[in-house]
Amino acid sequence: MSFARPARCLICSFSRAASTVGPRVPRRQFQLSATRFSDDKPKPPVVKQEPSKALEINKDGPSPAPETDVEVEMRLRDLPRTLRPEHFKEYTQEEKAALSKHYTPEQIAAIEAGEAAIDPKHLANQFDIRDDPFAFKYLDDFSVIEPGVDKHVRAPESNSDYTATLKTEEDFIDDFAQFFADLPEDFTVSDWVRFAETNRMTIGKEENELKPSTSLVPDLLGPGEHLEGPTEKPPRFYDDGETAARVDEEPSDAMKALMKATGYDSLTIGKMRIRVLVSHRVVNQTRLGKIQSQYMLAIAGNQKGLLGIGEGKSDEMPNAYAQAMFRAIRNMQPVPRYENRTIYGDVKGKVGAVELKLMSRPPGFGLRCQSLIYEMCRAAGIKDLAARVDRSRNHMNTVKAAYEALMSQRIPEDIARARSKKLVDVRKVYYSGIPKIERGSVRNRSFA
Amino acid sequence: MSLVNLAHVCSHLNNATKARLGFTSIPNSNLHLKLCLALQNDGFISSVVRGGPHPPPMHPLLGIPVAKDETHDIEPLTQSNVASRRLWLGLKYWQSQPVLSKITMVSKPTRRVNIDVAALREIVRGEKAKFVEGLRSPGESLYLSTDLGIMEARECVEKKVGGLVLCRVL
Repeated sequence: MSFARPARCLICSFSRAASTVGPRVPRRQFQLSATRFSDDKPKPPVVKQEPSKALEINKDGPSPAPETDVEVEMRLRDLPRTLRPEHFKEYTQEEKAALSKHYTPEQIAAIEAGEAAIDPKHLANQFDIRDDPFAFKYLDDFSVIEPGVDKHVRAPESNSDYTATLKTEEDFIDDFAQFFADLPEDFTVSDWVRFAETNRMTIGKEENELKPSTSLVPDLLGPGEHLEGPTEKPPRFYDDGETAARVDEEPSDAMKALMKATGYDSLTIGKMRIRVLVSHRVVNQTRLGKIQSQYMLAIAGNQKGLLGIGEGKSDEMPNAYAQAMFRAIRNMQPVPRYENRTIYGDVKGKVGAVELKLMSRPPGFGLRCQSLIYEMCRAAGIKDLAARVDRSRNHMNTVKAAYEALMSQRIPEDIARARSKKLVDVRKVYYSGIPKIERGSVRNRSFA
Repeated sequence: MSLVNLAHVCSHLNNATKARLGFTSIPNSNLHLKLCLALQNDGFISSVVRGGPHPPPMHPLLGIPVAKDETHDIEPLTQSNVASRRLWLGLKYWQSQPVLSKITMVSKPTRRVNIDVAALREIVRGEKAKFVEGLRSPGESLYLSTDLGIMEARECVEKKVGGLVLCRVL
């Protein structure tokens, strides 16, 4: 299937003769874009050539230029028709020399093998002005980057080399050996001084040692960053003692049970965002009197889409805290996130008299909501959200209602599936799926 | 065009999907029929059949009544039986949840809301316009009665027609 001729209805193709005589009528298509009649091609642009230019082209091969010295009119479409296989010549010696500046011998061998694999006849066939719907509206062979038109491709301007290492003693011995080997007959002290001053102390990029970035002129890119954007975080240079101590510490029985139940190690649990949102004393009236205990409601999240809430109640505060925290971790469930930053559409939640509404918002909006929902969003990794809490504002029920609302989101893919529709995310098609984030369209419903 | 009857239909559909009914019936009228066909076209309901007071025979394979059934004849619509006709709708469920989870009237019998294309564009983008809330949830639909028939809001924007806002479906 080519992009110039998109897929057509299979059943329709059976109902027609394969080779129809007469003007072509566009068949029914799967896609909704306007059909193009292949018969009414746009007229090719007329190129007005200077005689010298025409001669130059003729010298290279393509067309026999008329021998008039007035302006020559030649249709671009005629250009490829005059091409012959012999017009495609092999590399000259100068061109090979130029190539060898940029490529290793292995790469040049690969290039030559690739060139040899292409039949010049096919090249002549391929050399044509595109007239398909995806052709560019202007003529260009894309051999140069036009400033102002094309996107700039800049070399990374960074003197830093984060993989540079100090030279070992053996490396210095090698340097000295090289110095003495290269020493001229009539050597002077200045030779030694020059060597001592210029000999490098590190292995790696030269600018990193000789012209490093300073605090006055800091490096533009941090470690692990590229022009394309930040990548994975670089490994930490040192581990703080606190983390190390926590790892060494023997986990409690409850922690061991939690780790066994959830499969998380202590480091993962340590990195989770855990907050106690509600904490107050509760009283049970019995015939023996009032029995007081501590109630706690905690949330836990990994800031990457997991969120859980847990409640704990005990006579002692630490017990209640541990109960709430461990239950929150055990209850963690994935929260659907649109583009890893906001929610899918507006959702409502209701627990008791608390009725709230969470609303999705555009990038950069931030979390404009009350503190409890803010903490929940932080723990879940939601960055853009607005919320409105109606009627009661009881803390406990607000947290529960917000959790219920977050979990009641409906994913566009599921909706499309339920309605037996085909859902196409056009951004996956047009931007080659470059931003590696979860996809799905909220407002631009694109049910085909 | 009775919006009173349409409001009854909306309430009935809400009740039927909450009760997880497989199919249900609503009074027959051209407005109801066109709206149901639009809903069926968008995948909210599985079938629309015009039948009598009793449910039409089931399709042997699908288990729901279908409009074009080779095995059973659907009684044609005549002047003598038009008053007893009802529309039988097949309801859909996905993962134990109704596909048509909520249908609410926008226009009321005492207050009809007409909307032009400019306001409809805002609504489709998710913004409030002319006292009609925007379509902000994924899969939310708004049905309008226009000169070109009953259509979804996005289709109305495509065809540049406004009209009477009937109901909102989620």
